[in-house]
Amino acid sequence: MRRAARFWLAVAALAAGCGLAGAASIDLGRLFDIGKDVADASKGMDEKDEIAVGREIAGRMLGAAPLVSDPELQAYVNRVGRWVASQSERPDLPWHFGVIDTASINAFAAPGGYVLITRGLYEILDGEAQLAGVLGHEIGHVVRRHHITVMQKSAAISAGARIAQGNRNQIINNLIGSGAEVMARGLDKSAEFESDQIGVVLAARAGYSPYGLIEVLHKLSARAGDDASLALLFKTHPHPGERLTELGTALTPRISTLPAGKEPPIRQVAGDVPPPPAASAPAAAGTRALTADEVAPTVKGGSKGGLGVDPGSVLRGIFGR
Amino acid sequence: MHVVRRDGDGIIIAGTVKASFMMTGLLRLLGLMLFVALPAAAQPVTLERDSPLYAEARLESAQVAQLKQGASGEVIAKQGAWLNVKTPAGTGWLFSFNVRFQSQKAGSGDSGSALGNVIGPRRNVNVTATIGVRGLDEQDLKQASFNAGQMKAFDAYTATKQAAEDAARATGLAPAQVEYLGARP
Repeated sequence: MRRAARFWLAVAALAAGCGLAGAASIDLGRLFDIGKDVADASKGMDEKDEIAVGREIAGRMLGAAPLVSDPELQAYVNRVGRWVASQSERPDLPWHFGVIDTASINAFAAPGGYVLITRGLYEILDGEAQLAGVLGHEIGHVVRRHHITVMQKSAAISAGARIAQGNRNQIINNLIGSGAEVMARGLDKSAEFESDQIGVVLAARAGYSPYGLIEVLHKLSARAGDDASLALLFKTHPHPGERLTELGTALTPRISTLPAGKEPPIRQVAGDVPPPPAASAPAAAGTRALTADEVAPTVKGGSKGGLGVDPGSVLRGIFGR
Repeated sequence: MHVVRRDGDGIIIAGTVKASFMMTGLLRLLGLMLFVALPAAAQPVTLERDSPLYAEARLESAQVAQLKQGASGEVIAKQGAWLNVKTPAGTGWLFSFNVRFQSQKAGSGDSGSALGNVIGPRRNVNVTATIGVRGLDEQDLKQASFNAGQMKAFDAYTATKQAAEDAARATGLAPAQVEYLGARP
């Protein structure tokens, strides 16, 4: 048996020994294609695995900030997002879109098609084309598997050291969080610029004005740097002005040929929904592991709290992670 | 906590979360007076790079002037990727990504819609910028646990491809063939 295979089996065995392989862990042996080198581990991640990882991350994200309590709004954002995603190369992923209840201005994407936009960002949007542009950017991260690439690099770099320490939390961190560590330090700018371009094109393909995302970047650029709701965004992303410049350079040769598209009005958050909490909500009471019928086949259960994994840092976002 | 909130069509009010109803009413009136008294917010911009000022919103149109980086102007309209800008050298059109809007402080009453006059209509919002409110931050995320109940709701809100397409077509959206940028035409 090759060293890499033994390595991943050891990870699975250690996880099982720590009680993680039952209800709460991802099947590590399945998640990575045993027999490949560690450096190639996440290249072996198939679509089911990708969805399972994304689902785990999204569930943790919702533990940090719940969905806005407005079913019509959530359904609306799903219709818009799914229509935009349908214009991509991966239209049949189990796309999920949601608005989470925080004043922060941000949006997130997790592998496999899980996209969250904050209420703080949603409420500064002036039209559906802007929403389509933002969601299109997030869809771009998913479609191009940007997060998988980062996880791959991180796993290769840090897996051995983590396992040697034998700490179960670090095993999970290695699977999801290690990749996040790289992203938390700031994404590869080229991935962000690429997703900006994808967002513009997917919105245009969906029949919207291609320029909604540009308008949103203008909004962000115009906000003062000391705006607390943008702290995470400005910490982890290229400045919106830089993104505008890059996008402008890419768009200029095509500006005459892009369709004008439509700018329908955007649905507003229901008037009877209370404002988001001043700070984010604490982890919801009653948080528990997933039951078997609630999870994807490759995820046997939800993670327990306190694992120290930073789900947000695993996520990639247009305006932060 | 001090908050600034926009209510209705551009009525700007300021107060505290614990302000009494009467105080809120007074502030509302004051805000209305202020709003009425002030002209519509200007949309000052600065040119990010040297650029021609076009007579129309298309590259083939005549050039009104050649503007230098740092030139300033005021936006009066938009059309797609173009902004209609009034400058000392004349009025014309610029690519929106070649300009930068003046920075705006959070909680200044514009709910983040600093460009609302230009790139979209003002709209009612339930909550707008709140001074000093950070919202979700890294620490919150680090402490987060999987929320199965929320995940179930998240699943329930998803739309099928067909439902999404039906809704899009009902909105008047029609799919278009658009190559990715950078692709050979």
